[in-house]
Amino acid sequence: MTKVIEVIDVWKAYDKLEVLKGISFDVSEGEVKVVFGPSGSGKSTLLRVINMLTPPDKGEVLLRGESLMAHKAELSKLRTRIGFVFQNFNLFAHLKAIDNVSIGPRLVLGKTKEEAQEIAHKALEKVRMADWSHHYPAQLSGGQQQRVGIARSIAMNPDVILFDEPTSALDPELIGEVLQVMLDIAKEGTTMIVVTHEMGFARAVSSEMIFMDEGVIVETGTPKHFFENPQSKRAIDFLHKLEVLYGKAEADKQLV
Amino acid sequence: MTMGLYIFALFFGLGLGILLAVGRHYGGPVISRISTAYIEFMRGTPLLAQILAITVLPKAINEILVAQGMSPIDITWRIIFPDIIGTPRTILNTTILLCALTLGLNSGAYQAEFFRGSMGSISAGQTLAAQSIGMTRRQEIRYIALPQSLRRAIPAWSNEAVYLPKYTTVAYFVGVADLFSMAKFVVSRTFLGLQVYALVAIIFLVLISAISWIINHVYERVKIPGT
Repeated sequence: MTKVIEVIDVWKAYDKLEVLKGISFDVSEGEVKVVFGPSGSGKSTLLRVINMLTPPDKGEVLLRGESLMAHKAELSKLRTRIGFVFQNFNLFAHLKAIDNVSIGPRLVLGKTKEEAQEIAHKALEKVRMADWSHHYPAQLSGGQQQRVGIARSIAMNPDVILFDEPTSALDPELIGEVLQVMLDIAKEGTTMIVVTHEMGFARAVSSEMIFMDEGVIVETGTPKHFFENPQSKRAIDFLHKLEVLYGKAEADKQLV
Repeated sequence: MTMGLYIFALFFGLGLGILLAVGRHYGGPVISRISTAYIEFMRGTPLLAQILAITVLPKAINEILVAQGMSPIDITWRIIFPDIIGTPRTILNTTILLCALTLGLNSGAYQAEFFRGSMGSISAGQTLAAQSIGMTRRQEIRYIALPQSLRRAIPAWSNEAVYLPKYTTVAYFVGVADLFSMAKFVVSRTFLGLQVYALVAIIFLVLISAISWIINHVYERVKIPGT
């Protein structure tokens, strides 16, 4: 399988605080990687490093073999091929849902207005938001906004989509609709890197889970490995904490 | 004349103000410093002094030119409005033009700060989102930041829009026949000071109320639904 993303020995510090200390992993075509770990472990920074919203101090990120760090001028071009879904949605407040989605194809991919609308409409249908396309972000619930955010990424037809805790800012009853959409696109074969604590989602679709703590990858493995037989003490402790918080049974039955 | 000065200065200042604010907020170190220096200079010196300085400029330049043995620039041109009811009136000459320009240059500095304030209030997340779909910095400013920050600036900006008509009265000091100098003229003929100045006050009040109303209306019209 072709490698879509290669992260090679990435280091990042904010002043003296080392956030990433030598992270390496690959993502192949159609894979869904779930990154999880305690807060402050560097998960979000890692995602931002991958599309260079936060350039790393050391190391390299390759998108289909092309370095994101070498050609600085082409960065905005390469970024069009990496979708990003934010924890706080970050929709463009002055644009209707449909325009939030179509502005990328129109301005960045150079599609005509009609083509862009068509693409946007399809993307909104995919996230089940077609009926809401003429609403402004402030008129939508958090779950709806996040689905528009996902549509905005899909519309660019990226090689990979990065999800930065996409459900963490949502009320519990809205999490399901967002996860369902993510499951749908994962099952269509979208390559995804997802930072999340939704273990039900991880269990259902992830090909590999990456457990991070204090800026390093502590343990990697399949969901089965983590749920049945985690090795490192830190991963065991963390999974136990999640269980206490969300309940094991809950995590098991969800979305399977 | 007052209206002419006002409308020119307001819209000239609007364009300039947006450019300055973009320069100061998004520009690199050089552009941002130039914008900042301009804004602080224009806001830090009296408007009257600026107008006096600018309007004596053509004469000063001509003196230098003549002293150098070159022919002076013609500053005696004027455009006369053929008045239907009374005597023909000058509607544009060098002094009026410079006066309007100075008002615009000055107003631009103030307007820039209103816009800069609202630019700072746009969430950083939207900038990241724009970058993440591959927009260039320029596209992000043009299509994401400005449409929102200009809308948000309207209430604060209305301050400048209602202040400016009153500022135009300084044109009187350089001999531009604005509303105020007309009033002064009428008073000198009729000695009806109280009545005439009260009338001037009422005219300004009506004018400014109308401006206020229009701006509020525009604000409601362009407001982002749901916010």
